[in-house]
Amino acid sequence: MGLKNLGVKLGGLSLRSPVIMVSGIFSYGEVNLDYLDYRKLGAIVTKTVSLNPREGNPQPRIWETPAGMLNSIGLQNPGIRTFVRKNLPSIRRDGVKIIVSIMGQEAGEISRIMELLRREEKIDAVELNLSCPNVNRNEPMVSQSPRMTALFVETARKSCGKMPLIIKLSPSVTDITEIASAAEDAGADVLSLINTVRAISVDVENRRIMEGGLSGSAIKPVGLHAVYEVYRRTKIPLIGMGGITTGRDAVEYMLAGASAVGVGSGFFSNPLLVDDIYHELTGFLQKNGMGKLSEATGLLNEKEKTNGDSRARKGKV
Amino acid sequence: MEAKNLSVYQNFIVANSLYWMEFEGSFTPPALPGQFMHVKIDNLFLRRPFSIAKCKNNRIGILYKVIGEGTEILSRKKKGDSLSVIGPLGNGYPLNADWKNICLAGGGTGIAPLLFLSDRLSGKDANITFLCGAKSRKDIAFRVLPCGIESLFSTEDGSYGRSGLLDGILKDFIRKSEKLDVIYGGGPAGLLKKIAAISNAMDIPAFVSLENRMACGTGICYGCVTKIWVGNGWEYKRICREGPVFDTREIRWD
Repeated sequence: MGLKNLGVKLGGLSLRSPVIMVSGIFSYGEVNLDYLDYRKLGAIVTKTVSLNPREGNPQPRIWETPAGMLNSIGLQNPGIRTFVRKNLPSIRRDGVKIIVSIMGQEAGEISRIMELLRREEKIDAVELNLSCPNVNRNEPMVSQSPRMTALFVETARKSCGKMPLIIKLSPSVTDITEIASAAEDAGADVLSLINTVRAISVDVENRRIMEGGLSGSAIKPVGLHAVYEVYRRTKIPLIGMGGITTGRDAVEYMLAGASAVGVGSGFFSNPLLVDDIYHELTGFLQKNGMGKLSEATGLLNEKEKTNGDSRARKGKV
Repeated sequence: MEAKNLSVYQNFIVANSLYWMEFEGSFTPPALPGQFMHVKIDNLFLRRPFSIAKCKNNRIGILYKVIGEGTEILSRKKKGDSLSVIGPLGNGYPLNADWKNICLAGGGTGIAPLLFLSDRLSGKDANITFLCGAKSRKDIAFRVLPCGIESLFSTEDGSYGRSGLLDGILKDFIRKSEKLDVIYGGGPAGLLKKIAAISNAMDIPAFVSLENRMACGTGICYGCVTKIWVGNGWEYKRICREGPVFDTREIRWD
């Protein structure tokens, strides 16, 4: 049992642990949580940063749902310049890789943000958030269109230099493999699957709705399905996330095709979730006699599909 | 802060839908009045934040009102039941040894952090008055405070103490007081806004504990924000991290 067994490579990004704090649930990495064991963490993804400051959405921003929650934070952030000057230096490192999440209202903003980020040595990778459900609700998200996804990813690819480029996609689409392939073809190194699911709750007393992104156990099957399908249709590594609340959930994501796993709102209820995942994955490797975690990725005993669906995954080993 | 399981020591109804729960144990570092704890309630996805109402002699207490599914489940917990908690969280009420004339003003369950504060202040060389507001006689949690500090009551229906809202007795109290150095407040936003207006008009510093729905409770999700004056404008600040206690002059009330 040791750290090196759980080390993973995501394209050019080496992590000592496959456990990642996903964007939006860990502020900018500056908050010290005494109960979080950093040694078991591979990377943190910052809250999404935009070119200009965003004040975020009005209250209510949080709504509990059966087996999950809606959030509508609205990408509150200080803007990229303040982030680089004030937030970036305060990120706790301790061997944890720093992934900065960014968004742009248009592709041009991505290049301008990259200009400011790509020379920062403290940043190990960039995650392009094309899938926040809480901005411009009247318009589609970028990752709801293969064409727009390709445009944004190409722009990011051109401007990010050697920095590994992760693309975060929304499950709120007809066919996520189509979007994933568009991102891969446009130069994505890694995909993060999935962002929250566009959803609403209805407040009966006030006859109002709460719009937001659904997270929590309720969306785990949606996330697993996305990872499973995209794994068979693309060649790039996947970070699986969505509804992970136990160590076993993380194993499920690995088997479905993830190379690393993201901890989201499940961390709010279970403050020891990072430890739980770490121990469960270590135990899984031991039990199955595996030398390293990457062996578990996509390792399903699959029956031949009998419904005439002959889609085969492209060139996976 | 710590994340750990605490064992329920006692849990009983003290007034109409109002419960007092004590856990066995303490926090490291010790809790300060105004701080809160984040409690996991069975299979509900989100934790629920509660002001710490007592932290003394290896007991941690909260005061809560049954208003929904979470607090309903909580009200059925028995001695010996174990609950996962994270605490202490947020910032406490600022204290100053030079403040000798102190008023605590709380409405409903908003008195919870003030109970803890009153216990901390009692026995100090200061004049302390506790003003407690409730809807009705049956909604008053404590007619005699655990710390023995003098308290004045107001009820909306006039069934106990003075009739009316808490700001009425606060205004009267200030008028009669020769000197008041600070007001500490807790309760619903409407009441806190009134406390802020009074403190502003009378030029008396006031610190209040804000409430909101919370997800993380620790400053990482930005779900519980409120508008705070910064420079010439305002920004959303986290109640769980920059608060829950704010100087009333910092708060932008909508």
